[in-house]
Amino acid sequence: MQQTVSATHTGKQQAVSVKLEGIVKKFGKVTAVEKVDLELPAGKLITLLGPSGCGKTTILRMVAGLERPTEGRILFGGEDVTRLPAYLRDITMMFQSYALFPHMNVYQNIAYGLEVTRRPKQEIRERVAEVVQQVGLTGLEERPVAALSGGQQQRVALARSLVMQPRVLLFDEPLSNLDAKLRKRVREEIRDLQQELGITSLYVTHDQEEAMAISDLVVLMNKGVIEQQGDPRTLYTRPVSRFAADFIGRANFFEGHYSAGHIQVAGYQQPYQQEGISGKVTVMVRPEALKVHLSGDGLDGTIHHVSFLGSSTEFSVDTPVGRLEGVVAGDAPELPGRGERVKVQFAPQGTFLLPA
Amino acid sequence: MAVIGKTSLKGIASGRSPAWMAGLVALVSLLVLPWGRTDRSLLEFDSKLLVLNQAPWLGGVLLAVVAVLTLSSLLHLPLVQRGYALVGLGGAGFLVGVGWLVSTSVPFGVGALLVLTALLVMVGIGLSESGIIQNDPFVTSSILVCSLFVLLFIAYPLFTVLRESVLVKGVFTLNKIQSVLTSPLFISIENPYTDHSEQLLVNLTTLGLGLLGAGLAARGGLRGPRVLTGLGVGLVLGWIIGAGIFGGGAFPTSLYLALIVAPITTALGLVFALLEQRSRAVWVRRSLGVVSLLPLITPPFVFAFALIYWLGRSGIITSDLLGLKTSFLFGINGVAIAQVFAFTPVAFLILRGSVQGLNPALEEASTTLRAHPWQTFRDITWPLLRPGLAAAFLLTIIESLADFGNPMLLGGDRNFLSTEVFLALTGRYDPNEAAVYGAVLLCLVLVIFGLQRLWLGNTSFVTVTGKPGAGNFSPLPVWLERTLQTILALWGLAVVLLYFSIFFGSFVQIWGINNSFTFKHYVDLTNLGLPVLLKTAQLAFISAIIATLVGFLIAYLVSRQQFWGRGLLEVGSMLSFATPGTVMGVAYILAFNTGPWLLTGTGIIIVLALVFRNMPAAVRGVISGLSQIDKSLEEASTLLRAPSSTTLRRVLIPLLIPQLLAGLVFAFVRGMTAISQIIFLISPGNALATVLMLRWIEQGDLGRGAAMATVMILGLLTVILILFAVSRRLGRGTSLEAAV
Repeated sequence: MQQTVSATHTGKQQAVSVKLEGIVKKFGKVTAVEKVDLELPAGKLITLLGPSGCGKTTILRMVAGLERPTEGRILFGGEDVTRLPAYLRDITMMFQSYALFPHMNVYQNIAYGLEVTRRPKQEIRERVAEVVQQVGLTGLEERPVAALSGGQQQRVALARSLVMQPRVLLFDEPLSNLDAKLRKRVREEIRDLQQELGITSLYVTHDQEEAMAISDLVVLMNKGVIEQQGDPRTLYTRPVSRFAADFIGRANFFEGHYSAGHIQVAGYQQPYQQEGISGKVTVMVRPEALKVHLSGDGLDGTIHHVSFLGSSTEFSVDTPVGRLEGVVAGDAPELPGRGERVKVQFAPQGTFLLPA
Repeated sequence: MAVIGKTSLKGIASGRSPAWMAGLVALVSLLVLPWGRTDRSLLEFDSKLLVLNQAPWLGGVLLAVVAVLTLSSLLHLPLVQRGYALVGLGGAGFLVGVGWLVSTSVPFGVGALLVLTALLVMVGIGLSESGIIQNDPFVTSSILVCSLFVLLFIAYPLFTVLRESVLVKGVFTLNKIQSVLTSPLFISIENPYTDHSEQLLVNLTTLGLGLLGAGLAARGGLRGPRVLTGLGVGLVLGWIIGAGIFGGGAFPTSLYLALIVAPITTALGLVFALLEQRSRAVWVRRSLGVVSLLPLITPPFVFAFALIYWLGRSGIITSDLLGLKTSFLFGINGVAIAQVFAFTPVAFLILRGSVQGLNPALEEASTTLRAHPWQTFRDITWPLLRPGLAAAFLLTIIESLADFGNPMLLGGDRNFLSTEVFLALTGRYDPNEAAVYGAVLLCLVLVIFGLQRLWLGNTSFVTVTGKPGAGNFSPLPVWLERTLQTILALWGLAVVLLYFSIFFGSFVQIWGINNSFTFKHYVDLTNLGLPVLLKTAQLAFISAIIATLVGFLIAYLVSRQQFWGRGLLEVGSMLSFATPGTVMGVAYILAFNTGPWLLTGTGIIIVLALVFRNMPAAVRGVISGLSQIDKSLEEASTLLRAPSSTTLRRVLIPLLIPQLLAGLVFAFVRGMTAISQIIFLISPGNALATVLMLRWIEQGDLGRGAAMATVMILGLLTVILILFAVSRRLGRGTSLEAAV
């Protein structure tokens, strides 16, 4: 259905790549974004992830044309759009507040962009009908938007963006007003639609789980600069910094020494392979990589507490390098109890060495 | 909408520009509309006045510029380069056009107006398309046009007042200021015909209050700056009171009057505000809504007029009941009474905001900490109300200083600043003297506004921000409520009597002397007043539309767009709010009486005066409406390919219709009741209802004046009630907020 309709209406926009070159944005004396270079491959979903105030929303708004960079260029598939006003950029955006027009009904909201650009009536009707079906709003066209639930309003906003067949689709924390369960469902729907339509998408969020779940590429930002970018797995397993390791998932950090294929921590030594690093290091261990045993080789430790959370069991253990947090899947009756002396080992796939 | 080329992969660097529309207007105006005028009428037409006949080289240049720009706007040309051309050539054309008008002093014609505006619009479009300014063409053009309006019709006239006060017949001199400031009309203390020395008395009061102020300040501990401030304030107040009582002249009289009126109105305003929010009796709370309406539907001097019926030389109370032949009403007393009636609702409106802004949780907290209701009021409520009280106090001072109608009717032999501005110009034919008085009044008012901003900041009216917490206001202590209710009842009785006297007076031959029923006054009104009333309504309506539109645009620009000079535009547009009406009136006379901007004697100048008088209210109304609308709505519209003009039309205006409607109606109503700013500007074809009414009353045709007042009051009341009915019918406010 969708393919045929698209074919009759000027075709879908070619997915374009988006490129940011040396982008700087200053608000007065405050520098929000500092020298950012970034390339978004055509048709992919890229997430800008970071704590609030890291500049991710500013970048999104600059791509949209709602803010103008102080320095640098923005290119859409080779075309310089830095000075192109927002309404000519062929971009749509999903807002945190949905930004639905309260004086219009569902149909009018979705048709707005097509009407503003003077599309023929017939085409507007067909395209709106198509997108309404895509996002599952059939039968609600005449409802005032105020009478919809949060999830439905979300869908209207999505439909309103998709119907324009934008070159780039932007998401400004679109799920933060939904409750946790709905959030998970909607983000999967967004991901499915995005992959189906192949629209280059830029997604801003401060929720690392959301970012991991939805993205082809995650760009982690901190204080106006890009900390690290890569696919979700790389970011999780090979963080470039303590900040990156800490922001994406949970992690333990402690001092260690690395040489000749071995990590040494407080007298304990364990084989481990990592290129390009040696000497004093900061060891990062994900909670799930923390293994405790009652006997055998390992770092000396004492269990501090154990708490059963249903799908997993969390524990912490006091060691010479501090208190470390661990987690095991499901109930773990074999786990030593509080106060028991244990040996701690680090599973290599959840362990990574950072420069000290 | 802009017909901008579809974005191609090579970039959107080229396309058509919406500037062609402005260009076409300019082209047609150049060819067929008069560039200059020979007389006052803007509708004058004569082929000699076409720019090509009047100033061939200017016409040639402008025609060439406009033709080139229009043509290039229609072609698919690179946006940036053409943008620079629009800015450069358009700007040059604009400057040449203005330069010609200024240098030759030929009054502008319709053609010049349209051409210059169109050129400015083209410059705006160019600024935007070239990327010099990051706003879209519509916004940039609007910024330029609004700035020009504010500059020409607010800043320039006010500047003219200051200029004329130091520039006599083209020569710079301070003599005029000196002679006015030392004249007995402005200030006089010593009266040679009494055998005591007024100067001494004034000095004594000054000194006495100064010491009292210092003493009061020192009560809380002997700290130097505090005591000095107390001393200073005491000295100033002492001089004003002393000079107001014993001396004479416009300066001390006006200040003294303001000092009497402001505390009384503020106190009454507080009484009403407390009652409206806290009273146990429903009828009390309800009836106070009516109070807030009164100043809107009443021409400013109607209370003064009604007071003459009751307290005048042959007034009912003074003459019939008490048998006095007193003229105590004519002077400061009468003006003060009239102003208290007129301005109490104003103070009430301000304090209502403060009382509403109080957080009931604070008082509940105080009560749970075992404070007596009276202690709670003294220690919690009162301190929180103080900023609102200060705001109301300062605003009523300004209103009192700026008031024109009441002093005009009841001033008697005393002089007031606002009336002296008028009398200097129309009685003594001395524009420079009028300018000096205007400048003094303007400075006084601006100083008070400055003080208000300094002390209270912008958020002075609401002391506690954020959502009002749950909980109920503790009702007022019973004895307090009784007292306040009594005050309200007395005030209400007086107001009813005053309105009734107007109404009654319009139906009797001569009230108090011949109380036989007659329609005579209404017959006279139909013959003499009706055309004037209709003309007034027409001018007020036109001005209301313009004020609402320009006000909306300015509010949108200053609250939603970022651009250089935004603060200036906001201050500029608010300046006319701070300016007393008489000053604005004399400013318009001085600025637009000759030269290229000749407008006096036309209806247009009245419309403009009303526009810039009423615009600030529209601006504030729309700004507060906009603050309730999520900015992302506009951004969403923008990203759905709507240029800002479309966003305004399809998103913001529909959402702001209640505010715009209210703005329109209030601007119309205020336009109908305005007097001080337009009394200078009337001309034979453009008489206005309030001015005619004032003239009738001054001539002693009280019945006719009363008939006019009755018709106006009832008419305006109807208009307002219709507005309320319509807003209720629209009733979208709440559901809209829920959805945003």
